[in-house]
Amino acid sequence: MVNRVVLDNRIHRDVRIAATRPTRENAEVNAMSVIPREFPRLLAHYPIFYTKNMETGRFEPSALLGFQPQENLFFVDGRWDAAYVPLQIQRQPFSLITRRAQDSEGKPPSLEVALDLSQTVQSQEGERIFLEDGQPTKFLQDITSMLSVLVAGAKETYAFTGRLAELSLIEPVQIDIEFVDGSETKLQGLYWIAAAALKALPAAQLAELRDREFLEWMYFQMASIAHVSGLVARKNRLLTGVTAPHRPEVHRADPA
Amino acid sequence: MPTRPESQPVRKVVVVGGGTAGWITAGVLASRYPQRGEDGVEITLIESRQQPPIGVGEGTWPTIRSTLKQIGVSETDFLRECDASFKQGSQFLNWVDGSHADAYYHPFTLPVGYEERNLAPYWLEDPRDRSFAADMCFQAELCSKGLAPKQITTPEFAGLANYAYHLDAGKFGPFLRKHCIDKLGVNHVYDEIVRVQSDDAGDIAHLVTKSGDLLAADLFIDCSGFSSLLIGKHFGVPFLSKKDVLFIDKAWAVQIPYSTEDAAIASVTLSTAQASGWVWDIGLTTRRGVGYVFSSGYVSDDDALEELQSYLKMRGDPFRDLSFRKIDINSGYRQEFWTRNCVAVGLSAGFLEPLEASAIVMIELSAKSIANLLPSCRSGMRHAARLFNDTFRYYWERIIDFLKLHYALSRRTDSKFWIDNRCSESIPDSLRDGLDFWRYHSPWHEDLSHREEVFSAASYQYVLYGMGFRTEPARWLLNDRNRNLAREKMNESANYAKALSASLPGNRDLLTRIRRYGLQKI
Repeated sequence: MVNRVVLDNRIHRDVRIAATRPTRENAEVNAMSVIPREFPRLLAHYPIFYTKNMETGRFEPSALLGFQPQENLFFVDGRWDAAYVPLQIQRQPFSLITRRAQDSEGKPPSLEVALDLSQTVQSQEGERIFLEDGQPTKFLQDITSMLSVLVAGAKETYAFTGRLAELSLIEPVQIDIEFVDGSETKLQGLYWIAAAALKALPAAQLAELRDREFLEWMYFQMASIAHVSGLVARKNRLLTGVTAPHRPEVHRADPA
Repeated sequence: MPTRPESQPVRKVVVVGGGTAGWITAGVLASRYPQRGEDGVEITLIESRQQPPIGVGEGTWPTIRSTLKQIGVSETDFLRECDASFKQGSQFLNWVDGSHADAYYHPFTLPVGYEERNLAPYWLEDPRDRSFAADMCFQAELCSKGLAPKQITTPEFAGLANYAYHLDAGKFGPFLRKHCIDKLGVNHVYDEIVRVQSDDAGDIAHLVTKSGDLLAADLFIDCSGFSSLLIGKHFGVPFLSKKDVLFIDKAWAVQIPYSTEDAAIASVTLSTAQASGWVWDIGLTTRRGVGYVFSSGYVSDDDALEELQSYLKMRGDPFRDLSFRKIDINSGYRQEFWTRNCVAVGLSAGFLEPLEASAIVMIELSAKSIANLLPSCRSGMRHAARLFNDTFRYYWERIIDFLKLHYALSRRTDSKFWIDNRCSESIPDSLRDGLDFWRYHSPWHEDLSHREEVFSAASYQYVLYGMGFRTEPARWLLNDRNRNLAREKMNESANYAKALSASLPGNRDLLTRIRRYGLQKI
């Protein structure tokens, strides 16, 4: 169970966060929500698709990490096997929570940094989060700025995907994969850019997408699809210990 | 006025009346024939500011989803603006014998195996001491748990279980009006009709409005509600009363606020039988709509009101400050719906008690049929009218049979209303023959003669077996292969119900999130 508490420099003065993040409970997922600002760095390793948020149904970009629930092919022997780790993983075990001041009614709610105590993150040797005088360490300052990037990123994400959906530029895609041992899987619930719709987009709307940086993000995401092959290769290595040529079959899903 | 030539093209359509019927009809026609101007069809809707819509008819059938999709509205907008909620069928309480456990579902999802074969006889052979709907349809469990028929990630108009809506009829017309005018190019006039001008042959040539305008058209669609301006007042087409079959003739209606913002919303229409009729109970997102439809031959208005209030009391609803509205119900339909160049849709064509929410589905069927039959010139009008009249007379009669079925199968003996309802003179021959037939044959497509029925064999199965009707299985016509298939399908259905119960949100929860985030189109 998640047990989040707001950071307090008296209570958490001596807390140290283990350097061996991320933990198993955070990493064992087969897709990870990401933000457009990360795309250039994600592009080095991960295939990015759009998925629907289970709570809101809205589209958000996600890095595909595996083919089965809880299968993360980038998380090997307790370590992250890629030079760039998505921010949603890096920020753990910290998060922002909304706190409403109890005495002032008209005041806007404030965002405060919280720590998830349920995670096995505290250690003797890890990073300190507060200095002796109660000031945040450089480590905590980095975490805090990462969290605010994620908050801003969520806003940008929904402006971005909301506009793409309005312009019918997102379509469902189904990916059929055959692994080296002959087993097969169908990836569903994934969406990507409708290439034909993008090609047919009127110039004015294309310019709007460009001006808002959306076009750039779209192309980053589209280019990232090439990493599906790399992901299959990771799985094949796991299955047999050898690398084999493979060609996943990608086709447009029936929207019905 | 000179008679219009037989070769006169049908290019101008005037819809009279801006309620649910008028705007659905205008929307269906305008979306089917999207071209306007010189090379298209001109559609004008005239409505009176003086006459507010009746605002009854809050229940729909799943056909409404394809109708709305065709008209081109978004499901998110519709749900938000019409305070609509998801409806997965009806639950009938106290209809069988009035005993404590007397309740059954008529869900929208078809019984298991229905697409290929009739498995009802195999359920009858081994009913597992459970209800027909619970064994043969996973949706019964979703209904009893108050779950939504879809998830927030399910695209617009798609569902994991078949569904329709409950809606605020007072908001539905204006919602469609905006779309029809802004998106579909329907002309709109606020005015009143003071005179109907015929040509020499008897067609309507034009309507004269209060502000002095003339509205000429090739086809006039009468959606003027109970006032029945064209089909009734102008053409004098007789109204055929069906009071001798369906005894209900009045209703008390009331709107009930929710006690809390997150109060549960039932995803079925609740229909609870009373001494002289039944109570409908419909949950929208903003309020409930409740009403007692009753027969004035068996109970006074005051006593009926008291019965409704004791229903509310039993449900724990406060009713002191509510305003109760009385509505007259005149069950029956016109002898003809399409006469010369005029066709009636909605209340002007006919009205029946709302037991199976047939009003809006009949509007949709009528609009679709007019769009299909729309003659290209005046000479095609007679044939279109004959086809339309034959089809819709059949539909009205079948709906009346289906409504009467609920009363005919009841075993209630607590009042004369229920006893008289089973009296053989009040049961149409077609229904009586059907009931005789179904003693030995489980309802199936072939029993019903039309390609498209308002109520399919599936509906008959749900109501017949929900009410404890017994079809004697003819063992020599059954076989082990289907017996195994039935068992397999029923097990599958039970597993599916379990899986969906774990993953579907509550009806209220999903509707609240749709208000906030909307649904995706894909």
